[in-house]
Amino acid sequence: MMKLLSEVGAPLIFLSEILKTLFKKKISVKLVLEQIWSVAWNSLPTTAMAGFFVGAIMSVQFALQMKEFGALGYLGGLATSGTFREIGPLLIAFMLSGKVGAFTSAELGTMRVTEQIDAIRCLGADPLQELIVPRFLGIIISSFFLLGLGLLMSVLGGAFLASLFVGVHVEEYLRHIPRIVQPASIVLGLIKCGSFALILATICTYKGFFATGGAKGVGRAVVQTAVSTMICIVVADWFTSFVGDVLVRLVIGEGA
Amino acid sequence: MTRYLTQIFSALFERPFRIREFAQQLYFVGNQSLPIILFCVTFAAVVTILESSFHMKMVIQNDSLVPGFAAMLILRELGAVVTALLLTSRVGAGYASEVGTMQITEQVDALRMLGINPLQFIVVPRLLACIVAGVILIVFANLTCLFAAMLVSESYLGFPTSLFLSSMRRFVQFQDFYFAMVKGACFGAIIPMVSCYYGFKCEQGAEGVGRATTKAVVASSILIIGTDFILSYLFSFFY
Repeated sequence: MMKLLSEVGAPLIFLSEILKTLFKKKISVKLVLEQIWSVAWNSLPTTAMAGFFVGAIMSVQFALQMKEFGALGYLGGLATSGTFREIGPLLIAFMLSGKVGAFTSAELGTMRVTEQIDAIRCLGADPLQELIVPRFLGIIISSFFLLGLGLLMSVLGGAFLASLFVGVHVEEYLRHIPRIVQPASIVLGLIKCGSFALILATICTYKGFFATGGAKGVGRAVVQTAVSTMICIVVADWFTSFVGDVLVRLVIGEGA
Repeated sequence: MTRYLTQIFSALFERPFRIREFAQQLYFVGNQSLPIILFCVTFAAVVTILESSFHMKMVIQNDSLVPGFAAMLILRELGAVVTALLLTSRVGAGYASEVGTMQITEQVDALRMLGINPLQFIVVPRLLACIVAGVILIVFANLTCLFAAMLVSESYLGFPTSLFLSSMRRFVQFQDFYFAMVKGACFGAIIPMVSCYYGFKCEQGAEGVGRATTKAVVASSILIIGTDFILSYLFSFFY
């Protein structure tokens, strides 16, 4: 039980340290930009491909249902709205955690076990300020870019599939999107994306920064990062959906 | 890549079949992943219910179809894909780093020296274990998922269980369950093949192992989503 509590608590303390560093010390913009660039550039192809396929899958599944009700016109709006509220952020988070999360924790872990982090401290620099915060910010900021990209690709994928196989014109597919995708959904998608990125950034920097035990330890840190990120993201997903649903009911009212 | 696949296929029929290794891998993939997977899938199911009720209200003004719809989404897509992605991050990463470490510490070459086919020794038990575990895990995941969805639809949306079940009957046939199992087997085959492939191609040094792991996870995730799309499209002809 104590072990579990410390497992949950330590990353939170680490997060508070990161935030303190973020607001108290000067963060070099160049480093942050470099990180954003590397994260976004590395994940671009995977995100784009995954987005395309997800759009296509959503289209297939919704089309089967909508045919029964004769509401095929709604297909584009529904698939897009679902992607925005739910699948998009989740997918971006999964892809990021597989690629960027693993990479970041491996990199930091290698730095830790080869004593480079201690070297930075010896030189009088703050490793949090130099290493962690730029990566942290980089992951969070670039996740929003990637969300936009993945979303575009999923709309493309869905429209492509609908026009090819279901017989819904691209124009018709796109026409309903603004009607069904509500501002509330967009806000919810953004909140989700931000919170997932926050979780991912915290966990992967934490696990990497405190890796112990040589090359094996780095491997262990990477696997642990992947697993705990997944769990936390799914829980956060449920939480944000629940809270978001309640908020929508409060703000817009029933039957919205 | 094709050569690798054909080699694995021929290695499948070589003797001796390493039953103990297979059982160990099955334990690792099946038993040890089960709690995590059930936990995550349950939450995912709850979210699915909430989301689909939201959308239904928007389009058809009532959400009486939600239970069936959610059950359908869970059985056809969600259970299988979420399980597969979780397995990828856990088992795939583990295999890639394991095989990569074997490669750079020359254990793979040692096996070859001893006249043992490394594919048959390393990949085949893992492959079979993953296929079996994939099918079983997906069955469990789907059942848990449906049960969770049932509970949530009763507590949060106010549909009694009987209504959930009858609405499920309208949307989902039993063949969906078989399709989910087929998906599970395919995803289970993808994970160890891709991971071991990148593991064998691992470059020297600790960074090489990390890179192999990352590549393996990303490649199998993409392949899983792609395969899922193809399978979904194929299955859509059966309804």
